[in-house]
Amino acid sequence: MNLDWHGALESVIHHPLFGIGITLGAYQLVLAGYERTRWVFLQPVLVSMLLVIGVLLLTGVSYGEYRKSTEILGTLLGPATVALAVPLFLNLRRIRQLLAPVLATLVIGGVFATGLGLLLAWCFGAEHMILMTMAPKSVTSPIAMLVAEQIGGVAALAAVFVLITGVIGAIFGPALLSMLKVHSPEARGMALGMTAHAVGTSVALQEGEECGAFAALAMSLMGVSTAVFLPLAVSLFV
Amino acid sequence: MLLRGLTWLIVFQLLGTALNHLVLRMLPGPIIGLLLLLGFLIIRGEVGKPLADASASLLRYLPLLLVPPAVGVMAYASDIAADFWAIVGTLFISVLVSMALVGKLMQKMLARRGEHP
Repeated sequence: MNLDWHGALESVIHHPLFGIGITLGAYQLVLAGYERTRWVFLQPVLVSMLLVIGVLLLTGVSYGEYRKSTEILGTLLGPATVALAVPLFLNLRRIRQLLAPVLATLVIGGVFATGLGLLLAWCFGAEHMILMTMAPKSVTSPIAMLVAEQIGGVAALAAVFVLITGVIGAIFGPALLSMLKVHSPEARGMALGMTAHAVGTSVALQEGEECGAFAALAMSLMGVSTAVFLPLAVSLFV
Repeated sequence: MLLRGLTWLIVFQLLGTALNHLVLRMLPGPIIGLLLLLGFLIIRGEVGKPLADASASLLRYLPLLLVPPAVGVMAYASDIAADFWAIVGTLFISVLVSMALVGKLMQKMLARRGEHP
C-alpha cells in the first residue's frame, strides 16, 4: 500500500489549528521546564516565541498564515487588558493611600524612560523611523503601535520593540530590583509594569497579587499618559 | 460563572471600541474598556464572582496570549538586523536603567512616608 505521507503532513501543517497547537504546546513545554529548573532565562513568552519560530521555519509555514490561525488568541488580548481593571480595583484603597508617590514616579519615570531610550538610540545612530518607532517602547503593544504610527514610526516594528523591552525587563528586572534592595511589592510592581508593560505585569502577578496590581496600575497609567502626551511632545519638538 | 464574566469583559471592550471610534482616537479600545470597567467597579463597590473568575483565568494566560504577536519578530528580521546593536543596546540599557530608577524612586517615597522602613 502506498500511503501519501507527504500529503498528510502538508494537510496537518496547513490546518487552521496547527498554529494554535504549536503555540499551546510550546508554552506548556516552557512552563514545565521552568517549574522544574526555575531558570530565569526560561521566560515563557521569549522561549515559546523561539520554539514557535523554529517550528514555523522547519515546516515552511509563513508568519502570515500562523498569525491568521492564532487570531483567536490575539482577540482575547483585548478582554484580558480590560480584565486588568479587577486587580486594579481590588487594590484601589492601597493605591489611593499612595497616590502622590505613584503619580510622581509616573511623571519622572515616564519622561526618563522615554527620553533615555530616544537619546541612546540617537547616540547609537539609529535613523528617524527607528527613533519614532522606539519612543513608545515602554507601553503595552496596542498603544505603542498606535502611537508609533501617529508620530512617524512603523506599527508592527513597534510591537517588536515593545516585546524585546518587555522580555529584557522580565528576565533581568526582578534580579536587578532585588540587587538594588527594592523589596516592597508596590515599588517592584511599579517598576515592572511601567517599564516592561504586559510582560513585566505577568512577572509581577507571579510575585504576588499586590505587586501585580501595582504593575497593572503602572502599565495602564503609563499607557494612557504615553498615548496622550507623546504625540503632543513630538509635535512640539520635532 | 466564567462565561458571564467573560461576556462582561467583552461588553466593556466593545464599549471602549465604540468610544475610541467616536471621540478618543488616541486611546485604544481595550484601554478605554479597562478605565470604564474600573469606573463601574468603583461605583458598584465590589467585584462580582463571575467577573473575578473570568479575569483571574484570562490573566493567568496573559503570557500565552502574547506569544503570537511576539512571533512577529520573524517578519522584521532584516530590518532589525540592519540596526541590530543600536536597537538591542538601546532597549537593554534604557529598560534596565529606567526600571532601577522607578523602583528606587518609589521605594524612597514609600520609606519617607514611614512604610517599609
